[in-house]
Amino acid sequence: MNGEGEDASKVIHVKFLTKLDYPFKVPVTSVVIPSSVTRLGLSSIVNSLLTLEKPEPFDFLIDGELIRMSLEQFLNAKGISAERTLEIEYIRAVAPRKEEKPSLHDDWVSAVDSSSPRFVLTGCYDGLGRIWSSPGSCTHILEGHTGAISSIAFANSEGAEGVTVATASKDRTLRLFKVDPAESGDSTTRVGAYKILCGHKASVASVAAQKYGSKVCSGSWDCTINVWDTNESTSELSVPGKKRKGNNQAEEPQLEGEAETTLVGHTQCVSSVVWPEHDVIYSCSWDHSVRRWDVETGKDSLNLYSGKALNTVDVGGEGSALVAAGGSDPILRVWDPRKPGTSAPVFQFASHSSWISACKWHTSSWFHLLSASYDGKIMLWDLRTAWPLSIIETHKDKVLCADWWKGDSVVSGGADSNLRISSGISIS
Amino acid sequence: MTKKSEGANEDQVKEPKRKIVPSKSQKEAKEVKSSEEEEDLLLDSGTDSDYDGDSLSGSLNSDDFDSEDDDDSHRETQDDEGSDEVVDSENGEEEDGSDDEGSEQREVAEESDSSEDEVAPRNTVGDVPLEWYKDEKHIGYDITGKKITKKEKQDKLDSFLATMDDSKNWRKVYDEYNDEEVELTKEESKLIRRMLKGEAPHADFDPYAPYVDWFKWDDAIHPLSSAPEPKRRFIPSKWEAKKVVKLVRAIRKGLIKFDKPEEEPNVYLLWGDDSASDQKSKHLTYIPPPKLKLPGHEESYNPSLEYIPSEEEKASYELMYEEDRPKFIPKRFTSLRSIPAYENALKESFDRCLDLYLCPRVRKKRINIDPESLKPKLPSRKDLRPYPNSCYLEYKGHTGPVTSISTELSGQWIASGSTDGSVRIWEVETGRCLKVWQFDEAVKCVAWNPLPDFPILAVAMGVDLFFLNTELGTDEEQQRIEELLRLDNLPELDEAAAAIAKWLPDEKYRGIKIRHFKNLSYIDWHPRGDYLSAVMPGGETRGVVIHQLSAHSTKRLPIKMRGLPVCTLFHPNHRGIFIIATKKYVRVYNLHKNGEPIKKLETGLREISSMAIHPGGDNLVVGSKEGKMCWFDMDLSSKPYKILKNHPKDITNVGFHRSYPLFASCSEDSTAYVFHGKVYSDLNENPLIVPLEILRGHSSKGGVLDCKFHPRQPWLFTAGGDSVIKLYCH
Repeated sequence: MNGEGEDASKVIHVKFLTKLDYPFKVPVTSVVIPSSVTRLGLSSIVNSLLTLEKPEPFDFLIDGELIRMSLEQFLNAKGISAERTLEIEYIRAVAPRKEEKPSLHDDWVSAVDSSSPRFVLTGCYDGLGRIWSSPGSCTHILEGHTGAISSIAFANSEGAEGVTVATASKDRTLRLFKVDPAESGDSTTRVGAYKILCGHKASVASVAAQKYGSKVCSGSWDCTINVWDTNESTSELSVPGKKRKGNNQAEEPQLEGEAETTLVGHTQCVSSVVWPEHDVIYSCSWDHSVRRWDVETGKDSLNLYSGKALNTVDVGGEGSALVAAGGSDPILRVWDPRKPGTSAPVFQFASHSSWISACKWHTSSWFHLLSASYDGKIMLWDLRTAWPLSIIETHKDKVLCADWWKGDSVVSGGADSNLRISSGISIS
Repeated sequence: MTKKSEGANEDQVKEPKRKIVPSKSQKEAKEVKSSEEEEDLLLDSGTDSDYDGDSLSGSLNSDDFDSEDDDDSHRETQDDEGSDEVVDSENGEEEDGSDDEGSEQREVAEESDSSEDEVAPRNTVGDVPLEWYKDEKHIGYDITGKKITKKEKQDKLDSFLATMDDSKNWRKVYDEYNDEEVELTKEESKLIRRMLKGEAPHADFDPYAPYVDWFKWDDAIHPLSSAPEPKRRFIPSKWEAKKVVKLVRAIRKGLIKFDKPEEEPNVYLLWGDDSASDQKSKHLTYIPPPKLKLPGHEESYNPSLEYIPSEEEKASYELMYEEDRPKFIPKRFTSLRSIPAYENALKESFDRCLDLYLCPRVRKKRINIDPESLKPKLPSRKDLRPYPNSCYLEYKGHTGPVTSISTELSGQWIASGSTDGSVRIWEVETGRCLKVWQFDEAVKCVAWNPLPDFPILAVAMGVDLFFLNTELGTDEEQQRIEELLRLDNLPELDEAAAAIAKWLPDEKYRGIKIRHFKNLSYIDWHPRGDYLSAVMPGGETRGVVIHQLSAHSTKRLPIKMRGLPVCTLFHPNHRGIFIIATKKYVRVYNLHKNGEPIKKLETGLREISSMAIHPGGDNLVVGSKEGKMCWFDMDLSSKPYKILKNHPKDITNVGFHRSYPLFASCSEDSTAYVFHGKVYSDLNENPLIVPLEILRGHSSKGGVLDCKFHPRQPWLFTAGGDSVIKLYCH
């Protein structure tokens, strides 16, 4: 190995380090390699050191930065001396290794939520919500909406008697469903809503649920954000008249709920809401702003201006404080609201070629996030490099929604009516 | 000569005796004044060798000072001594210049000089013309009355010789009066020279001596006059005031002029360069014809040998091209006689004449202007963001050219109509087709109702106008719409309207159908959403009708139109104002005042195709079929404020943005142009129009048929003949 390296004009002494366990650990010895090797070369070197049965792609970090060019260029760009022994950390490459079987829907898949490792929730343009326990096997169908579902979320994924699911639809309502995961047999069960949340005057664009709480919030085309209670009893009392009417029309008891709080401030359609903390809601809107709301007071405490109509927002990353948002242009922007006095984005990722429809932070990693775009691509990003880690091009049409699942898979739905799951993504 | 001199001598001898006393007294007085000085002077003068002219000087001076009486006595004394001296000299001691007497003589002379006194005239005839004595033997009488005889006249030759011999002759002056020759001293000649120069006669007189101010200014206790200050010193002068008034009047009347009239130079170069003066005066850029080349040595009849080409050179000339060959080959001739006639003489002079006569000798004025500098200074495009520039979304589904699109007020949906007979509603956000209505005829025009809570769609196709329920409203809104669109009993229209339109229920889509007598070309909603104007290519009052949806009625306009209407607009702010565009003119009417015409805009276009009004209501954009677009500022003028010629083909539609300062035009050349069109609230400021972007993307087949701005975002929808709708975002 060492002898081979000396053939090249310029050689570098490197040491490979890793936080990975056996079988991906190489002995900590200094190796001489030519400086012209790229990431692929480094990966093959490590693979040959490891002598694995199946070659494994790796990514390499020098001083916390991913290598995306030849080693020599990288060192020149960063001004690192090639004289001393270089310590290169390697991690398993973040790329899907396996493509699951697509789950075909009747219409466009507009919403997906896979925050629970047990299920994947999908909302579809045919007005039905679906619960998938594994790729290709639909356990429940959530019915009742008269318009296309625009957003779906777990309201309570760990409930004792079942899972509560909230759906938002273009028929101006939200519906709450209770699903018992145990009862799912071979056939799919159809579930009706136990509660209908009415109050929006226009299509509901997005729904998000409070973690460890009983509330959901929704953003709508009527420029408002409503906060709703998912609890059964209180809502029953609050609207007895409507309840009766619901009883008459449908066979199973259906409740109607009204909004607890309405957060007013956006001047255009609220396209996405997230509820990352107990009483903090982040929302983005077509009025080009991202706002942070305090649920208790109903005031917005933060207002980030992006200049473009925004479609999606998510909060995560370091300290769960970074705000990522994408919208009517191909640039994914990440803000750090903790930075005082500036509203300029700290990161901008611009590899897409069309509107961004979804972006999600990885639940456990501080660095990773995904974005889905109307150009049919899903890109996995690492804050440590400006290039996408990998591009998933499984969809044939616009990707409308995407999410992480189980920490190692990407679930996405699109205008090709398919739910696709790319798994085997190793994020340390 | 000797006799006369003796006689004279006698006289002289007698004279001093009489006048001794006064002279002595004078002398003493003088000596008291400045005895020492005079001694010095005497000593000085003693050095002078030849000293004889005192008497002359005395006589000269006597002439000068005749009128002065004061010095008379003094003069007399001088005369005495001077005459003594003269007598002496004439007695023949002249040549010797005897020293012993000289001292005395000089003393006298000096005295006379210092006192500027003269010798009294020996001749006492007085101031009579001397001609009277011309023929006499004497020249006059002396003081005792004896005749003074003339001196013997010298022979001319002798006198000439004498003068030539005498080196001092130039200093001698003949005194006719006393009949004697006087020789000037050196001092006197200097004095005369100085007087001639205009200087002070005495060399030691200093004309620029410092002034001694004898008056004591400061320590005078008492004023020179004890009179009190007069009052006139304290009041403004009456006479000055009068003078000023006079001057002011004169200035007013123009009698006094301050600026001098410009003097025209009355001198000019008569024989100056003609061409140059022409150029200056007439600003003509005249070029004088070039002068003929003068003949050189080689054209001589006998040029030097070096001019004569050798045989090889001549041969090489033959090989050259005609135009490269030298015109003239020098040759030697033994004499001028042997030179033959120049064969080209006639031709060359003819050419020269032609050149003088025909060649235009005027410098062409070629203005060299950078075309960039002619462009108006416009703000940079970057500063005018946001505006639509790139296409991200396409709405596909139509199978024929999309003729018309319309945006819903919230910006969530757009509707489109196509020649394939379908009307579609799209979700803007995702590009999904939400609803399709299929008709048999090609859709001409679609229009959303402008009310946000009244989502119905008006669709024009063929002779029919449909009101379609989009079912996008809330339940209550839906109920209202359904009620409104239910046509239980057919409305009774008055006769005039019935001839044009007929209301019918539409069973298929549960809407209303209005059947017109002609094919519809354009529809437009009133901003309140109740009235809708429909345009048909009909003349006079039949071209435009207004339908009222709530009352299910149709009205004809009380307007007689000239020409076929093309499109109509309701004013966005003033309810009753209605704008109709015919093929060449745009007319504005007030419907509240029974269709009173307000304005007529002269577009100057061949055929208007579309128009759009600024949301402010004062500015109008008109697109034409020749690719021109006119911006009218209706407050400003009935003529276009700006004409934009950008499209090579017909403009199909123009549109304003509701809130951003943007407007756009689309054309059959498959492009859409986006402009910045800022209207200022300050009426003095003209609208600012800046072209921003050319949006390409539609295939060249069919062009772009319609363009509409998103109501809230700076985005533009374009409907193409290639059956695709594109959304251009900022």
